[in-house]
Amino acid sequence: MKFLKNILAFLIPLCAMLLTFTLYLLINNVVENYKNKISRDYSIVIVTNNPLIKENIDELADIKVQRIQTLPKEKIIDDIKSNLSSTSIELLKKKLPYFYQIYLEVFPTTSELETIKETLLENKNVRSVEVFYKNHNQTYLLLVLLSSISFILFFIITIFAIIIIAKQIKLWFHEHSTRIAILRLHGASVLYSGSAVLNYAILSSFLAFLIVGILLYYISNNMGILFPIELHEIIDVEINLKYELFKLFILSFAISIFTILGVLLKYKINDE
Amino acid sequence: MLEAKNVYLSYDDNKYIIKKGNFTIKPKEFIFIGGNSGSGKSTLLKSFYGEIPLKHGSLKIDGLEVFGIKGKKLRVLRKDIGVIFQDYKLVNEYTIEENIMIPLKINGYSSEISKDQANKLLSHVKLSHRAGYYPNELSGGEQQRVAVARALAHNPKIIIADEPTGNLDDYSAEVIWNLLKGANEQLGITIVVVTHRVPKNLGIKFRQLSLEDGMIYEVS
Repeated sequence: MKFLKNILAFLIPLCAMLLTFTLYLLINNVVENYKNKISRDYSIVIVTNNPLIKENIDELADIKVQRIQTLPKEKIIDDIKSNLSSTSIELLKKKLPYFYQIYLEVFPTTSELETIKETLLENKNVRSVEVFYKNHNQTYLLLVLLSSISFILFFIITIFAIIIIAKQIKLWFHEHSTRIAILRLHGASVLYSGSAVLNYAILSSFLAFLIVGILLYYISNNMGILFPIELHEIIDVEINLKYELFKLFILSFAISIFTILGVLLKYKINDE
Repeated sequence: MLEAKNVYLSYDDNKYIIKKGNFTIKPKEFIFIGGNSGSGKSTLLKSFYGEIPLKHGSLKIDGLEVFGIKGKKLRVLRKDIGVIFQDYKLVNEYTIEENIMIPLKINGYSSEISKDQANKLLSHVKLSHRAGYYPNELSGGEQQRVAVARALAHNPKIIIADEPTGNLDDYSAEVIWNLLKGANEQLGITIVVVTHRVPKNLGIKFRQLSLEDGMIYEVS
């Protein structure tokens, strides 16, 4: 009980931070799933005079080009070759421009697709550009906005959590100052003399991970709590629980360890 | 063992507590540092283990320069010194056995060896029956015996004691002096003691330094 009371001021901000991170993970997961779902609902086809090299088009409207697929000319020729002589076919093969389909790393918005089209048309090698898309703009942008808001929330809470955690660590150092001073007098390093504080931090981090981990496990099995059932029909809201738990574990310990190292460093500098 | 050349010590830049401190302590010597209250005895002693930095001069302990010492070198210096304080400075959250194990663990000894050595020392200071006790469950004399055992634990070349009997009755004080005498005679450890009351009939050859107006004098 005394231990719990002692670590509460550390545990609460860490749990709050991990909870907002969980929220961000879940929303981001939904956005990613939605993005994957609609990723095939657009197409950029370009026609060029000369063969296209991927290195020449690395980025379009600030979006990285994932790959450029060459569309075979043979299919076009096959469609019309019944009416043509072999000489005409050969001539046609030489005269036909090059067809490519461009795949982007990120799903583009309507305006981005328009910018991509304009950018491509500025290239003298490009004869024409055809852009097809289904309008997912509003839903997608709304989800991206939600993801951004949840990230900003996570970022703000992380800053406050670090401040509170750092204060609590300083308080622990103060509580253990006599012991630390005695150990230092005997030649112990700052890390060794502060090992009791470090143990508190590690235990608190593990406890925070456990609490939020259990919550995430519960939510992953009861997604209806966060996302309405109707949404499940549109978007896949499943998460990779093991992977997300691993992220939570790393974050929980990383924040604690980095904060405690920061305080230790300050303590060491002041000490010397 | 310890060589001070032109040592200046102060808490601020305006007034020097120790000026032009020149003295040498040879290995296996038993030294008393005396002087009136506020003469800077404890300050001088603190400079030996790097608690107070030297303003000027040179102070070498077993060849290691103390002037400007910090970080890893300071830890190395402290690991080689045994310290005893008037207020014992025992860790109240540790048992007395664990307190004795502190310098051993810091010096990298395993828990098993540390425990074994701590028990030998507890027997030496006649406190074996209290191994599991916490410091605040012991009398002042017993606590100081634990502090002596802790100072001896890692077999240091030098033990520095600041008024080790200042809080003790005559009987407990005699026990502490006998323990320090034994450490000097039997183990060859250099002992430097700050005290304003040099014990009578110590039964051992010792040298005495005195502090007055910031200057260090040899008492003949």
